[in-house]
Amino acid sequence: MMTDLNERIKNVMGAVFEMDPKMITDAATPGDVEKWDSLRHMNLVLALEDEFKVRFPDEVTENLISLKLIELSLKELLP
Amino acid sequence: MSGLKYAEILKANRELGSKLKGSVFQIAVLSNIVVNQLGDILEYELRQQGINAKLVFGDYNNIVQDSARFKNSNAVILFWETASLVEGLQSKAETIDAPQLSSLVERTQNEIELVLKNLQNVPLVLFNSFSSLLFSFDELKDGKFSQLAKKLNNILNDRAVPNQLTVDIDKIIAKTGISAAVDFRLFQSSKALYAIEFLKEYAATVQPAFCAITGRGKKVLVLDCDNTLWGGVLGEDGENGIQMGENSKNGKIFQEAQHILRGFQKRGILLALCSKNNAEDVNQVFLKHPDRVLLNEDLVAKRVNWQDKVTNLRELASELNLGLESFVFVDDSDFEIGLIEKELPQVKCIKVPTVLSSYPEVLRSVGRDFFSFTQTKEDASKTKMYQEEQVRKSDAAKFSSTEDYLKSLGLKINIQWNKAIPIPRVAQLTQKTNQFNLTTRRYTEGEIQGMIDNHSCALASFSVADKYGDYGITGLIIAKLRDQEASIDTFLMSCRVIGRNIEQVFFDHFMKKLISRGVKTVNGEYLPTPKNTQVADFYSSRGFVAKKNLYQISTKDYKFSGIDYIEVLESESNDD
Repeated sequence: MMTDLNERIKNVMGAVFEMDPKMITDAATPGDVEKWDSLRHMNLVLALEDEFKVRFPDEVTENLISLKLIELSLKELLP
Repeated sequence: MSGLKYAEILKANRELGSKLKGSVFQIAVLSNIVVNQLGDILEYELRQQGINAKLVFGDYNNIVQDSARFKNSNAVILFWETASLVEGLQSKAETIDAPQLSSLVERTQNEIELVLKNLQNVPLVLFNSFSSLLFSFDELKDGKFSQLAKKLNNILNDRAVPNQLTVDIDKIIAKTGISAAVDFRLFQSSKALYAIEFLKEYAATVQPAFCAITGRGKKVLVLDCDNTLWGGVLGEDGENGIQMGENSKNGKIFQEAQHILRGFQKRGILLALCSKNNAEDVNQVFLKHPDRVLLNEDLVAKRVNWQDKVTNLRELASELNLGLESFVFVDDSDFEIGLIEKELPQVKCIKVPTVLSSYPEVLRSVGRDFFSFTQTKEDASKTKMYQEEQVRKSDAAKFSSTEDYLKSLGLKINIQWNKAIPIPRVAQLTQKTNQFNLTTRRYTEGEIQGMIDNHSCALASFSVADKYGDYGITGLIIAKLRDQEASIDTFLMSCRVIGRNIEQVFFDHFMKKLISRGVKTVNGEYLPTPKNTQVADFYSSRGFVAKKNLYQISTKDYKFSGIDYIEVLESESNDD
């Protein structure tokens, strides 16, 4: 389950940032992913929400700035 | 829509985009909210239909100026949100005083008129209706915000321009569900009002308009019989055992289905049968079953036999002279649906739902794929025209030569010049005709009108009739004149009248007209598409000399066909 979640997030990030999911490290941040700008960040949030059928609370959306943080936030929302 | 998630759409759209060839169909989105996520979602929806769509976005809240900037796009979509006419209007509308509110209406009206004028030559404009639905709890009595939206919609509805469609956004919100359609979180932080779910529904809803404008609209609905048009199996339950009447639960549903289908036929959708049954048994049902709604004359063609449905669909396509990509196939059997999906992926397949009560809804939604911009006289009698064609074909078999047969038909063509041309019908022809079409240029009614008003253009359409009936307006030619030279921009003819040498006689008359106007040189053009190979040799067979993509002839060298069995009448306009 753990790795499955990690993999699914990477697939979503790969689709949004136009890169191979395998190239995304657990520590990836907007600083080291070229296409991670503010518009794509919105796409990332929406794509994650659509993928996992959740809605992040307002204050969480801007904090989803690394794979680890995304994983943690999702775990709180997922049943 | 396909049911893909947003991330999957992003990925699939990129892959599809890199594969599609052909000219780009540019769609500009002008808005006073942020709807950038529509880009990939709508592109993907349209690219699946073979349209090489590319969405571009205007600047945020700059609709008026952007309408001038994007007036050469293939299509424009307007997201003009009532709540963003003035920042926070959804709440301020109740507190603004009346004069201020009416000056806001007036200003917006002027802007709407200006924008639509700027966009008048864009082949397709989708203008979302003004909505208050996401912000109102005034179901019992309209509040000021809802009144405002209604006023603005009245302004939109007063216009009647076929290629400028008002998209009923409230219906799309309702289908999505209000809370799933809106994202107030993003509206506050980034002016993005609509959620992904809404944008997917929006893309699926508007797709048929793009198919229609690019000549990809659906035309034929092919129906199975047992458990599709009636409940039960005719061969086993017998004529008295099948259900399509008032007195059984399922019978009522199938009767409603037949009513829906009959309505489709009246709209110009062609209905055909494809059923594994004894032909005569089925014929009797449509002839005299007391509960039937559909009659034999509502059906344009039938394949009621025991051969496989792939062969049957291919035969129907060739009999009707229409491409299989214009077919929709309805059947209750997983096997038949699976077979067609595999062998003929260009055919859209619809399975009769196992929960039968939702069948009428499924059928109604299929009607959306047959969207057509204008209803013309020709649409209402389309089934009849195709049926007349079948009688012609069976009579044709009795003649020893085609020439003898054509002579027996009593063919007449009536040519309309310039102002006498029926504009809605010829615009529709440019949008729908794919096979006998030398250049496949699509025109709106406004563009046709513009060319008629322009004295350096010569236009002629023609209608055809023979002893079996009337085909209506079925052909068009447009030439641009310059000094003693004419360049043929468009020459097309409906597939219904192919094979009668009509194009030769019509073209002869057109050449005669050009010569009488002092034209010395005529240029023709052939732009190949996957569908118009049958006219690749048209100009060379008329004696034109090929020069790269262009063909040229000196009018003194033109050889008239000499065909004398087609009578020609002409309707001139006064100024001609």
